[in-house]
Amino acid sequence: MHLTKRLKALGLAAAAGALLATGAIAPAAADTTLRFVSWQKDERGVGDWWGALIKAFEEKHPGVKIEWTKVERGAYSDTMTTLFAGGSPPDIVHLASFEFQKFADNGWLENLDPWIEKAKLNLDGWAGQKTCEWQGETVCIMMLYFGYVMGYNEELLQKEGLAVPTTWDEFIAAARKTTKDLNGDGILDQFGTGHETKGGGGQYLSEMLNYVLDAGGRWTDANGKVTIDTPEMVEGLTRWKAVVKDNLTPRDLSAGEVRQLFADGKIAMKFDGPWLYPIMQKGAAKDKLKLAMVPFDPPVGGSSNVLGMASEISDDRKALVWDFIALATSDDFQTKYATMAASTPPSPRADVSGAKGETPHFDLLVEAAQAAAKAGVDRIPTGLEIQYNEFAKMAMEEAQRMIIQDLDPKAVAATMQAKAEAIQKQ
Amino acid sequence: MSTQSIPAQPLAARAPGRRRRFGLDLARPSRRHWLGYLLLAPAVLLIALIIVYPLFISLDLSFQNVGIARLDQPRRPFTLANYERLFTSAEFWMACWVTFKLLVIVTGACFVLGLATALLVNNRFRGRSIARLFVALPWAVPEVIAVIIFAWIFDSSFGLMNWLFITLGLTSQTINWFSDPDAAFAVVAITMIWKGYPFVSIMALAGLQSIPEDFYNAAKVDGANAWQRFTNITIPTLMPVLGVTIVLVMLWVFRDFSIIYVLTGGGPLKATQTLSIMTYEQAFGFFKMGYASAVGIVTLVLCVLASLLMVGRRAEAMY
Repeated sequence: MHLTKRLKALGLAAAAGALLATGAIAPAAADTTLRFVSWQKDERGVGDWWGALIKAFEEKHPGVKIEWTKVERGAYSDTMTTLFAGGSPPDIVHLASFEFQKFADNGWLENLDPWIEKAKLNLDGWAGQKTCEWQGETVCIMMLYFGYVMGYNEELLQKEGLAVPTTWDEFIAAARKTTKDLNGDGILDQFGTGHETKGGGGQYLSEMLNYVLDAGGRWTDANGKVTIDTPEMVEGLTRWKAVVKDNLTPRDLSAGEVRQLFADGKIAMKFDGPWLYPIMQKGAAKDKLKLAMVPFDPPVGGSSNVLGMASEISDDRKALVWDFIALATSDDFQTKYATMAASTPPSPRADVSGAKGETPHFDLLVEAAQAAAKAGVDRIPTGLEIQYNEFAKMAMEEAQRMIIQDLDPKAVAATMQAKAEAIQKQ
Repeated sequence: MSTQSIPAQPLAARAPGRRRRFGLDLARPSRRHWLGYLLLAPAVLLIALIIVYPLFISLDLSFQNVGIARLDQPRRPFTLANYERLFTSAEFWMACWVTFKLLVIVTGACFVLGLATALLVNNRFRGRSIARLFVALPWAVPEVIAVIIFAWIFDSSFGLMNWLFITLGLTSQTINWFSDPDAAFAVVAITMIWKGYPFVSIMALAGLQSIPEDFYNAAKVDGANAWQRFTNITIPTLMPVLGVTIVLVMLWVFRDFSIIYVLTGGGPLKATQTLSIMTYEQAFGFFKMGYASAVGIVTLVLCVLASLLMVGRRAEAMY
């Protein structure tokens, strides 16, 4: 009796052990969760594309889940820094193209060259990919390179008998004519154009860059030498001062608020990236809003966001992350990027014919991106990548000082030059 | 059955071996205070872990030339460069000046407004409960929501304040509240006062309610007028409460981040950049954590000094 009981107990223990053993092995392989943090989770269009990509990846890798977490753009850099510094980075790394350099400089981003080589991923002609090269290594894949387009309110321009401007002179004249106090209460209700003048230095610089580029100015040259104290930059600063100081743009608003004002018919002309169109479609004045090329040459453009992998994760996880990147860069998903996100995909192999059918202005987006790329425009100045935030803050403050204290743009350019060189030397 | 066989014995007599083994008799009068320390130990350890340890790390970082800090990285060489740069930086002294201005203006206004409203709602009148509710309301509103409300009130293009100023004929053109250094500072100060005065009010009201009515009755019998009763009874009796409250308000002004960051981000031209905003910007904007730690340590020292000064004054007023 005792023996039978013992045998039964042994049998049960063995069975339980076997179950536990298989259970212990199986979940380790199957229940892998990759962490992915992004600020684009709820964005219309591009957020849907990320969702479709994750779904396709999970279907292709049974048992592997992607934990997709949204972090607001305003807190993104801090959150990612904390995650990396704390030793628990996300496996799939999504960063803005102006901030990845600091992470790469700390050795936190995996060198993707061996993975690219192994997978034979052809990145020739991949828009903005050069930006992802850091100290001779490819540390990320560019996910968007864009060119600015101009949204305009056809009714507001027609009321003043104005054609769509194609040069700076035409633009400034149109902006002055369409800036109005409509009800005579002493407060401007309608603006010729709209720029973000509140918030971070990066966005402020992008707004200013519209005028700087058209005047022939650049923050730095191709070798990274600071080139602010030049007649072209002085002209660019003079134009920016005219637009802001003469209240042709509403003051102290965030980028989102300015876009909404344009969508609601309070702004006549607005320069922005491809993301302006979905906002226009939801605005009160959507039937009056149109898109055209910016009246400047070249348009503002540049890299937007990048995808990479954390260098500290295990090799197994790296292989999975690479599969995710490979899927994102596949022709299929690059084609979907054009249709779902209504933006220009960086891949030259993406089939954009479907997007052209769905998005009426798609050719315009392609044209703007190509014009910016041809002119070698990027929002992040060469040679100031690591110090970009500090440089952008400095340039914003000096531009604000020029407007508040009514300073001569020539003197401001000289100050900016000296300060930028000091920042670069740190 | 078995339990009945054990004779009843005193606890100490039943387990002499165990007591000897640990060598700790908490029942002995000379060691009774040990129990207190033992019970406090978890809390002390926890505080050490979450406050003292990060503080030590910050202090250590402030003496290193480090960008993004990681605990698993080897320590960089000791340097005073961060402090040298800090004390020679115009930006730091500007941040000190802005913090000092805010400290004086916001703490002073909160004190006056808080005390005045507390005295008001301490009186008996119809609707007193609702008045008390309205006085305390700003304290209950989450800081970020309050900031968004004020951002729209002072919006340069579409805000209520510009409309009011123009309608009342106080100005002929709109004021760029967040583009003008003085105006931006005023907006930040007003928002902080609105958010901070109810705390003083609530504390003062609690203090007022604890003053015995006999004091006032006796003063009245002695012929003291309302002002004399206020200066000779109310204020001295309230001082212990007000002293602590002012210290807490000061520390709040020192460390407040969200109001300034959301309203102005420290601008324009650093007109609203306090030491806490500067610390954040250097750490997470420019990734200079060694330098940011130095700013943080100096801020901590200033906070401690200010608190000691205020606590000292409170003690004098009490006795």
